[in-house]
Amino acid sequence: MRLVLGLALVVLLAPAARAGDAASDRARLDARLASDVARQVAALVEDARAAGLPTDPLIARAFEGASRGADAAGIVNGVRRQSGAQLAARGALGTGTQPDEIVAGASALLAGVPPDSLARLRLARPGGNLVIPLVVLCDLVARGVPADAASVAVVTAARAGASDGALLRMRERIHTGIENGGAPAGTAGDVVRQWLLESPAGKTSKQKGREPDPQRKKAP
Amino acid sequence: MADRPDPERAANPHSSERAANAHSSERASAREEVVIDERVRAAYRLPSPADEPARARLLARLAADPSKRTGWRWWLAADAFRARPIWVAAAFVAVLAGGAWLGSRVTPRTANDAVAIIQSAADPTTAPVTFVLRAPGATRVSVVGDFNNWDASSTPMEHSGSGDLWVLSLRLPRGVHLYSFVLDGAEWRPDPSAPLAADDSFGGHNSVIVVDGAPGL
Repeated sequence: MRLVLGLALVVLLAPAARAGDAASDRARLDARLASDVARQVAALVEDARAAGLPTDPLIARAFEGASRGADAAGIVNGVRRQSGAQLAARGALGTGTQPDEIVAGASALLAGVPPDSLARLRLARPGGNLVIPLVVLCDLVARGVPADAASVAVVTAARAGASDGALLRMRERIHTGIENGGAPAGTAGDVVRQWLLESPAGKTSKQKGREPDPQRKKAP
Repeated sequence: MADRPDPERAANPHSSERAANAHSSERASAREEVVIDERVRAAYRLPSPADEPARARLLARLAADPSKRTGWRWWLAADAFRARPIWVAAAFVAVLAGGAWLGSRVTPRTANDAVAIIQSAADPTTAPVTFVLRAPGATRVSVVGDFNNWDASSTPMEHSGSGDLWVLSLRLPRGVHLYSFVLDGAEWRPDPSAPLAADDSFGGHNSVIVVDGAPGL
């Protein structure tokens, strides 16, 4: 009986909470945007909420557009792009993806990273948080490293057990190398190879890679 | 049916004896059940034993009205409330609606308020962050980001006094944030020391900060 009552309350209150969120978002949008733009953005935000996507980044995108002086169509288009990228990021990263991972994944996709790279990253770090790898991946692409090369570099490092801190240090070294005139793709590959040679995690991973496959041993 | 001779009984007289014995024991157990049933019914008809102290305690407990308890006894009573689930649910909804209304009244209306609240909060959902930018020649620098609704006037940075450094410390909610610097109210510039985000659809790149997710960012 209590369980039924609890479930009934949840079912009854969920739409009320959503309506409250929608009203609050609309008030925030109306305070900064023209009425027509606010209405269009609010509709996109509501669609995202219904799909279970983070909505704050969409509102923030609209405000950023307004602050940068974008016109109405530009603001709505920017919000629509962000929403579509979030949806695609969640699809690529799989169910159970955290909101921050969705936001970071969306940024990577908008930078030009292919969705299957996000899926490979998830496989490289199963159960681990992907925010920093995604941020690093996006940064490399934004700095001119081709998306494929950046994906290979980050996925390889993550698969070899690179921590968030190690990935961030690699990013800094790649950044410095590019600023010093290195080719973006070559620099990214060199830095990751160097890390694999130097770091204990990388060495362990390489040694593990050299070990004979026990399954293969048993095979006739 | 009763007239028909039992072929098994005819073939084996010992078997018919056993059957007769079984019938008689079944009848006996049925009679026993009836007797027990009658005894139980009779026991229920008897008046309860005259235990005066127990009766007095029972009557006193029945007479005590929970609603008349006062002071700390009321707060400790297990049966202080009796309510229908529908009223409990209605009260819960009313409290929730009141809370939502109150929340909407105190929600920060401007980015300045929001930043002030972030700065004064000492809760574990926020963390201190310091922004630093070297901007030679700039007379005004501010930080804009999703944490202040991208409002260039809300979060000005402070000139360090010597050199071209501009500094701002504030508390940000944990998570991923996009931000940028605005120089002299017009020029947007990403943080040279932070990771870049994707093209923001408006012709610029922002920086990314992950609060309490990555030391060094």
